[in-house]
Amino acid sequence: MASSIGHYLDSFKASLGLDLAIAEGVARELRAHFEDRRRELKESGLSEDEANRIAVESLGAPELVAHEVYDTHAQGTWQAAVCAGLPHLLFALLFASYHWQNVFCLATILTATVGLAVHGWQRGRPVWLFPWLGYYLIPVIAAGILLVHLPQGWGWIAALVYAPMALFVIFHLVTQSARRDWLYASLMLAPMPVFSSWLVRLGNGNALPADSAWLATVQAEVPWIVVSFVVLAVATVSFVRAKPRWHKVLSVFIPPVVISIAVVVTGPGCVDYWGSLMLLLPVLAFTAPFWLQSRIEFAHS
Amino acid sequence: MNYGRELLKGNTDALLLHLVNCQPTYGYQIVKELERRSNGYFQLREGTLYPALHRLENNGLIQGSWEPISNGQQRRYYYITPKGKQVLANRLATWQDFSAAFSAVVQPETT
Repeated sequence: MASSIGHYLDSFKASLGLDLAIAEGVARELRAHFEDRRRELKESGLSEDEANRIAVESLGAPELVAHEVYDTHAQGTWQAAVCAGLPHLLFALLFASYHWQNVFCLATILTATVGLAVHGWQRGRPVWLFPWLGYYLIPVIAAGILLVHLPQGWGWIAALVYAPMALFVIFHLVTQSARRDWLYASLMLAPMPVFSSWLVRLGNGNALPADSAWLATVQAEVPWIVVSFVVLAVATVSFVRAKPRWHKVLSVFIPPVVISIAVVVTGPGCVDYWGSLMLLLPVLAFTAPFWLQSRIEFAHS
Repeated sequence: MNYGRELLKGNTDALLLHLVNCQPTYGYQIVKELERRSNGYFQLREGTLYPALHRLENNGLIQGSWEPISNGQQRRYYYITPKGKQVLANRLATWQDFSAAFSAVVQPETT
């Protein structure tokens, strides 16, 4: 049991795993409840320390209260669900409309993604933010891959300089998201395995193909690319609207893994070492938040 | 699980709606008022009270509002909404019908 109200509320917020605005609101209400109880105990003749201790204890275990409050707020609104699924749908639309090579469209979507990600991050990190953050990371990773293709070996030098910075940004976002709930960090990283599986299927491994034959191959696959991102959008909406936690876990893990396997297995060629690495790394990153949060909780305890 | 606790759990929403309908009130006062009116029979834990209040608010049955009190402290007062009044009236009517039917069944028959 937490020994002071500050410690109690910290434990409560750490166990809650909800939007910061909701967590702060409930914590404020619990503090007001504590103050009323403490005042009453002091008026009945108890000492300050005794009144504090009993008032905190009477609130119940912070983890249990957080669990009950979580159940009440776990189901997001339809508005939040649609907003969370929107980046996947935008990406699907980009391919469905055959504008994925249009620089203006790409720049518009990128600007909207960065804008919404920053806006959401500053406004208490609501649940709809996390899929947007996932797309916010894609340019960071794509820039690293493109650097490798700079001429005469300069690419590797640039990539080696760039990689630590990119990894820092990714690691920072993943740890910050996992601090709240590892499920949100996995929700953020859900597009990564899907992207990499498509890159492995459409790329030729160690080179960046951009000739007309490759473009024709991509165009032929567009319907399936659209389907894979629409499935991600539906899974995300289901994640936000789901109430039981096991439903959320299934919504966040099953679709990206099934899509990635389906994309690679139905592909025309065998997967080489580079391709295997491209598939393995995002899957590891996608499942890492679960491990990361248990480490954070261990460090806390 | 304890039968009385199960009954309380199933009727917490109606009890809270009724108390909020009597007058705008806040969490601590609700706990005290429930205890007083039930002569100590109903003892609501905070882990039950606040999630229930938030669930009622999410369903649009009550509305919470932070208000300052005399010593600079703030409290979140809950007000019943028109939808909440309607739901409360339905629940009370259902409960009274249920209670009357239950009593009629368990009372010894007079011939």
